[in-house]
Amino acid sequence: MGLPKFNYVAPETVQEACQILEKLGGQAKVMAGGTDLLIKMKHGALRPKTIVGLRKIKELRKISFRKNQGLFIGAMALLEEVASHPKVKKLYPAVAYAASQTATVQIRNMGTVVGNICNAAPSADNIPSLMAFGAELIIASPNGERRILLENFFKGPGEVNLNRGELVKGVLVPPPPEGSGVSYQFISQRSKVDIAAVCVAAMVVIDKGRTRDVKIVLGAVAPTPIRALEAEGLLRGKKLADRSIQKAAEQASQEARPITDMRATSEYRRLMVAVLTKRALLEARQMALAS
Amino acid sequence: MREFSVVGKDIPRPDAWLKATGKAVYTDDIKLPGMLYGKLLRSPLPHARIVNIDVSKAQALPGVKCVITGQDIPKVKYGNWRLFPATQDEYALAIDKVRFVGDEVAAVAAIDPDIAAEALQLIEVEYEELPPVFDIESALKEGAPVIHEESPNNVSVTRKIEYGDVEEGFSKADYVREDTFTVHAVSHAYLEPCSTVAQCDLDGRITLWTSTQTPYIIQCLLASTLEMRENDVRVIKPYVGGGFGGKMELRPWEFCAAFMAKLTGRPVKFTLTREEELATGRRRHPMVIYSKVGFKKDGTLVAKDLKISLDGGGYNSMGPTATFLCGNFGAMLYRYPNYRFFGQHVYTNKPPAGAMRGFGAPQSLFATETQMNMAAEELGIDPIELRIKNAMVEGDVIPDVATISSCGFIDSLKEAARMSNWKKKRKSLAPGEGIGVGCYSFISGGVFNWFNTQYPFSAAEVRVFSDGTAHLLTMASDIGQGSDTALKQILAEELGLEMKDIRVTSADTAVTPQADLGTWGSRVTLMAGNAVIDAAKKIKEKLFGAVSARFNLNVIYDMECKGGRVYAKGRPDRGMSFGEAVAMVQKAQRGEPLVARGYYTPRGKGLVTPAFSFGAQVAHVAVDQETGKVEVKKIWTAHDCGTVINPMAAEGQLEGSIHMALGYALSEQFVMDKGKTLNTTFLDYKIPAAMDMPQSKSAIVDTYEPEGPMGAKEVGEGLVSPTAPAIAEAVYHATGYRCKDLPITPEKILKGLRDTKKRKRKRS
Ligand SMILES: Cc1cc2nc3c(=O)[nH]c(=O)nc-3n(C[C@H](O)[C@H](O)[C@H](O)COP(=O)(O)OP(=O)(O)OC[C@H]3O[C@@H](n4cnc5c(N)ncnc54)[C@H](O)[C@@H]3O)c2cc1C
Repeated sequence: MGLPKFNYVAPETVQEACQILEKLGGQAKVMAGGTDLLIKMKHGALRPKTIVGLRKIKELRKISFRKNQGLFIGAMALLEEVASHPKVKKLYPAVAYAASQTATVQIRNMGTVVGNICNAAPSADNIPSLMAFGAELIIASPNGERRILLENFFKGPGEVNLNRGELVKGVLVPPPPEGSGVSYQFISQRSKVDIAAVCVAAMVVIDKGRTRDVKIVLGAVAPTPIRALEAEGLLRGKKLADRSIQKAAEQASQEARPITDMRATSEYRRLMVAVLTKRALLEARQMALAS
Repeated sequence: MREFSVVGKDIPRPDAWLKATGKAVYTDDIKLPGMLYGKLLRSPLPHARIVNIDVSKAQALPGVKCVITGQDIPKVKYGNWRLFPATQDEYALAIDKVRFVGDEVAAVAAIDPDIAAEALQLIEVEYEELPPVFDIESALKEGAPVIHEESPNNVSVTRKIEYGDVEEGFSKADYVREDTFTVHAVSHAYLEPCSTVAQCDLDGRITLWTSTQTPYIIQCLLASTLEMRENDVRVIKPYVGGGFGGKMELRPWEFCAAFMAKLTGRPVKFTLTREEELATGRRRHPMVIYSKVGFKKDGTLVAKDLKISLDGGGYNSMGPTATFLCGNFGAMLYRYPNYRFFGQHVYTNKPPAGAMRGFGAPQSLFATETQMNMAAEELGIDPIELRIKNAMVEGDVIPDVATISSCGFIDSLKEAARMSNWKKKRKSLAPGEGIGVGCYSFISGGVFNWFNTQYPFSAAEVRVFSDGTAHLLTMASDIGQGSDTALKQILAEELGLEMKDIRVTSADTAVTPQADLGTWGSRVTLMAGNAVIDAAKKIKEKLFGAVSARFNLNVIYDMECKGGRVYAKGRPDRGMSFGEAVAMVQKAQRGEPLVARGYYTPRGKGLVTPAFSFGAQVAHVAVDQETGKVEVKKIWTAHDCGTVINPMAAEGQLEGSIHMALGYALSEQFVMDKGKTLNTTFLDYKIPAAMDMPQSKSAIVDTYEPEGPMGAKEVGEGLVSPTAPAIAEAVYHATGYRCKDLPITPEKILKGLRDTKKRKRKRS
């Protein structure tokens, strides 16, 4: 199964890329690192006539942080670059950690965080922690830009809210609130270098001993990454005691909608949601208290 | 112990560099002018009658040069057990029936692989579905669907071993336990998928380059299935990226490539995809193992009764050997005064199981060793102590099978215990951690001539030259295990030359001396090594004669080849360089080059093997009590492989074995639905990754095997057996969950933990 034939274009500006996408519509596919795209093409799952490579658009490689705006991760920023970026490591450790745990060093030096998002696998490693931070996507089109909350971006496995002519310019992650902590936890069949069977991110903001805000994001247990809203509700405004964490973890496990597949049974996934949610909340609490 | 110059030294393999830099030429790298690309059409059904095949549309596709089905080929069945033709149950392409999802039905050769793939889609096969069976129990039921007419009860091979009086033995036992173990199928997962290129010359002779462990077997079986003479078929083995038992039979693509090369007059290549390999390839036999053992109160073994059913899949493949061997391995390691084995090979509608590293031992020994650990607990004896008490020693005789001519088992047990600090760790590990022990014994090649070869088991030709170099020709097949290097070392040692002085040509059936049964059963170092020594000795005799004549030496002088010289042992000045000595012989022979052939065939060595290896392994694990995930922290191994030819290569075998066994124990399995394999990529077929490898420490116990070349015996396969039982015991030690059905998955552990808690609650 070799790659099918296709045209390759490498525009130099976002504007140009969007125009090409607008013109070609469903016949074209954007390529960042290609670590998902090319494999799908080899397996015949995708057959774009044209690939629009983003490699020549310099501004997309950027990772930057501004105090009031937060972190920007450009569409071409490599997983490895995000994982090792000092500001990301310091202020968004869960984002850096998730990137550092994605795939292998070879893939991390080709693949991007935004590609991981746009590929929209339910098990994608980089989505839960970014969702927990309340990240937004900046979407460019020939007519300008729009923003969308990351959690509203997904429609199903491999399906995202992008219109004809649009591409994702980057992710914008708000500055972490005072007293906050975010933790990312995952489990896979092999201990390392494997696709997640279940992954969970949790964010807590602790203010005067109470949970002012909380987000629990579950991956690989529904068609898209999801928030465990009821579990969050159990914690919001309350003291973040071990017992309530345990309760919330169990609630999150009820909110998961896992399937049985060759990677794990639904029962096991459900159990793991509880375990990982608990661990994520415990770690997030610790980070929040230490901040 | 003898002092060696080249043997016993860490010698990096010359091929390692070529492989690491991508320069080594594997079969798929071969491109010949006008070459066609072949693809196989496989059955989508597990069990069905072929009613009709229409290839007309495929044939009409532009670029397609040849389409064949079972109707087009000679109706000759093949299989490795030529000594028993009844076991040969396979045609290259299905004639009447398909017996597993993936069974080969038709083949296409086209000018490029995409066209060949497209043509497959155009072949119309009409099937009449038959009821399938997927497990041993259903296959053995009265009235079960019959998979091969010749085996109406779906049992194709049975084997019995019995010595002593088992009933009598059990009657004297103070403690008897019966357990049933089940073990699963795993893939060889060699990194080079099967690949083959066939060319037909103007005289109609075939040359086949193929990724194989057994060029000679392929040559013979290809000749018979093509209805050609053996000598008209030449098989060449290029660099091979691993085999592990999965590349030791004639396979349909080898036949089809050759057959279509004859039909079209153009070279034909087949290379399987990873998906084909995982979905349809050979695999390790799943088994159901019933074992009953009896002990005296003090731990002395008195009897063992072992019954094993092998899930063979749709064809025999190497199943007969596995059936034969798992019963032999059941009798190894310990002294069973009374022993009985019954084994049966059962057909099911799944991809056939074949030979795989350990060849029956990983399964059989998982049962032996787990049961030993269970017995130790109930008898209140330390598991290592219990093993030492019953361990085989040098000189032990296994009735009808073998005499153990060298054995470092007890030393291995003691050394593994010492290295791992066993006594202390057994008592004082952190919660959630555990250690466990597992052991192995393995064969150094087989004695039983199931292939019915008419040649010696191994052969070597040594040519020496007046420039001080030598050329070794042997049919032995280096498939990545490093036999070219090991045999070169043995020859260099014997002739007193350096590695760089020796050229090796191996595994080309038209050029290297007849014959060699191939790479399997850890036979190559011992058997081909002995053949090399035999040839070298003949060369040396000639050289000694020449030097002796030149210096008018007294006939009582001992002579030797060492350091590039040939001389009288007590009088090193009476000698000359190796090259000068060769030149003298050649002059004396009036130009005829100095060449010698050596052979080895094990004789008078019982039914199984000329030599057994032994070893013990301790594993340390940490189990996450909430997720059930196992981390193997460290593995200690002490083993006895006789003289070590190349310590670096032996360590490589150990690491590779641990890696493979880790997958067997914890993560690898085929996920199947109605005979169809679902996990057909390395994303979902979970081989441990490099990062999953535990730390490893090893020690080699000093022994000398009299039957082996320079005292060597096997090191390639036995080591794959102890890890699963050692990990299983360590997991039990950590959690109270006892695994009797591999693999050890997080879900099983969590369930086990819940059961343990319940038991404890009940007790308190
Ligand atoms: C061996 C291996 C291991 C892996 N392990 C993991 C793992 O552990 N965890 C994990 O989460 N993933 C893993 N992956 C998947 C993959 O590497 C990641 O998803 C990676 O982040 C994808 O990034 P990319 O830049 O290569 O994306 P690409 O393949 O270039 O793109 C992926 C998809 O997103 C679209 N796209 C990309 N960029 C944009 C954009 N700017 N705007 C709109 N659409 C866009 C593409 O059209 C395509 O559909 C693994 C892959 C491999 C091959």
